[in-house]
Amino acid sequence: MTLGEGVQLVTFVVLSAMAIGFALGVVWAPSIVYSGFLLGGVFLSMAGLYLLLNADFVAAAQVLIYVGAVNVLILFAIMLVNRRYTFAPLKLGWLRNGVTAVVCLGLFALLTAMALNTPWQLEPIQPTSSVLVMGGHFFREYLLPFELASVLLLMALIGAIVLARREFVIPQAGEGDLSLLERARPQLESESERQAELVSTR
Amino acid sequence: MPEAGRETGNRGMLAVDPPHLSWSSSPMDVFAPTGNLYAGAIWPEVVVTLTLLLVLVVDLVGGSAARKSLPALSIFGLIGALVTLVLQWQQPQLESFLGSFAADPISILFRGLVVGTAVLTVMMAERYIAQSGAPTGEFYVLLLTATLGGMFLSGATDLILVFVSLETLGIASYLMAGYTKRDPRSSEAALKYLLIGASSTAIFLYGMSLLYGLSGGQTKLEAIASSMGDAGLAGIIALVLCIGGIGFKLAAVPFHQWTPDVYEGSPTPVVAFLSVGSKAAGFALAVRFLATVFPAMTEEWRAVLSVLAILTMILGNVVAIAQTRLKRLLAYSSIGQAGFVLIGLVAGTEAGYASLIFYLMVYLVMNLGAFLCVTLFSLKTGTDEISEYSGLYQKDPFLTLCLSICLLSLGGLPPLAGFFGKLYLFWAGWQAGAYTLVLVGLVTSVISIYYYVRVVKTIVVKEPQEMSVSVQNYPETNWQAEGMQALRVGLVLTLVATIFAGILSNPLFTLSTQAVEQSPFLGFPTAQAFIPQSARLQVAVKGSLGSSAQTGEG
Repeated sequence: MTLGEGVQLVTFVVLSAMAIGFALGVVWAPSIVYSGFLLGGVFLSMAGLYLLLNADFVAAAQVLIYVGAVNVLILFAIMLVNRRYTFAPLKLGWLRNGVTAVVCLGLFALLTAMALNTPWQLEPIQPTSSVLVMGGHFFREYLLPFELASVLLLMALIGAIVLARREFVIPQAGEGDLSLLERARPQLESESERQAELVSTR
Repeated sequence: MPEAGRETGNRGMLAVDPPHLSWSSSPMDVFAPTGNLYAGAIWPEVVVTLTLLLVLVVDLVGGSAARKSLPALSIFGLIGALVTLVLQWQQPQLESFLGSFAADPISILFRGLVVGTAVLTVMMAERYIAQSGAPTGEFYVLLLTATLGGMFLSGATDLILVFVSLETLGIASYLMAGYTKRDPRSSEAALKYLLIGASSTAIFLYGMSLLYGLSGGQTKLEAIASSMGDAGLAGIIALVLCIGGIGFKLAAVPFHQWTPDVYEGSPTPVVAFLSVGSKAAGFALAVRFLATVFPAMTEEWRAVLSVLAILTMILGNVVAIAQTRLKRLLAYSSIGQAGFVLIGLVAGTEAGYASLIFYLMVYLVMNLGAFLCVTLFSLKTGTDEISEYSGLYQKDPFLTLCLSICLLSLGGLPPLAGFFGKLYLFWAGWQAGAYTLVLVGLVTSVISIYYYVRVVKTIVVKEPQEMSVSVQNYPETNWQAEGMQALRVGLVLTLVATIFAGILSNPLFTLSTQAVEQSPFLGFPTAQAFIPQSARLQVAVKGSLGSSAQTGEG
């Protein structure tokens, strides 16, 4: 094993341990704010793994988009919706956790078996800059999806504005009040719902 | 004479180097001049995009005065796209954008289905949006974008384009589902649709990444097919994950949970678009993806899909019996209808695919007709409870006629279009040896007739004193109000089409058979002459021919 390979191996082990550790922290953290911050750690370790694979552009994009935008957005959302609910522990909650654990372990075993048994067609990593190759792809065989993505982004922008815009003129209920034309069924308020409401207002 | 055009198209394609732009090529290849893009293949999409931008600009600049012209503008644009599709039918483009997109006859027909749905949806939406007070211009922009996504999905032959167009269709649909944002039901529908849609997209993406890895970094569907033969466990997992992603779009049974709530909570025109346009695009994806990528695993995917089809037919039709609201009933019925259409896909023969397309065409008119009626009724009474429909025939004979014809056609009663569609599907399934599927289909059709006829009975049979409150206070129809004329045109169109598409079905029948024969990716004998000499396609042909011969004998 040369020095380069050794460094790679150590880096890989460290980054993987970080990713798994942070991910476990996201699930186990008692407060959702901690989970949000730990999620940023998961994203950063993923960026490191990408760097290890010579995908420098993807690594940069991962840091910019996931850590810089998505994670910050999640934290903002958590801060804006700062209500505390106390949830009563479920009956048979351990059963649910157990079943989930069995399913997850089974999936993990299946995917591991698949990854180890499949003869993947590997190709050596190219020494050229990945940005150069990517640009070439964008303007050759991925030209059409690239252009379609612009329409997708335009539509997402418009849709976000429609959903977030505040309506200043609120008409009378019934006609044109931005609700479905079909009347809602009269709802029967259940006992558990009323209790949940009491807890939340306390 | 379409042969001539296709041959010149092929010669052009052979002149272009197949893009060897994988990781093994030297970096300078990136800048090598490329061949012809054949950009003419996306003319219909270009027309839709231009309409979309025009609607946006007119809405922005014109203010409230121009707002009334937006639906007409959208309809003209969509009809323009239909015209370009008809022109394209004369000269299909089997490969364009270096293999990203195919405008072969099947893709043209499916794109036509999506655009047709959008036209009728605009007709339905004009009055609905005006009455609910929601912003007008943005709705048409979202609808046109969803249409665009569906159109690209119908012809996509590349994993990246499949994904981007799937997302375009999906995200536009989530936004439209939540369009009446002051209604908690609508928000709930949008949120449910978004969450389940996002997870199913993730599943599909995982399948796609496995395909990418198995083929050594290929994203073209054809190029992936050649390495699927000896993929083993990974191939099966990829297949299952991809079927999961596609099943969400089709609302096939284990992946259907979003359907009833989304259909109940979304504005009715959106539901109409989702139940026909989105589903047609999903079937286009299913046909192309499964037939192109997995010819080596035909037995496996047919087995999985037959299980899905049986579950879908049984659950959709049985649960529909218990529904008390018409929108929810139509939601479950559309799940059941997707199960019937899956029979054509499982059959996998020439007749199977042709019957699938034929049924989707018929389903378009009858289902949209039913939704037009539901829209009109809820515009006037503000409800879609089935019990509120009782005695409607005395107040509104025209609406009664339309709704009864469309529902009976959905149930598959003889002189109407739906009967011929189902007959053809079941016949094709029987020929291909899918006896269980056809028997389940027959039994569940009988069940479906029960719940459709129950609605018709509520409307028609009741005595005057049994009339519901809504029908007693039924207002006179003011056809001059904004958007009502479009609604009426839509109703008449779908009514006429539902009645006559069955009896005069020959042109539709020829159209769908021709499309299947002349689309080389399905690999039926008449199309072989046009196949470019690539080994991958020959694998595809051998795979599907071998299996169809087997099922034919069995």
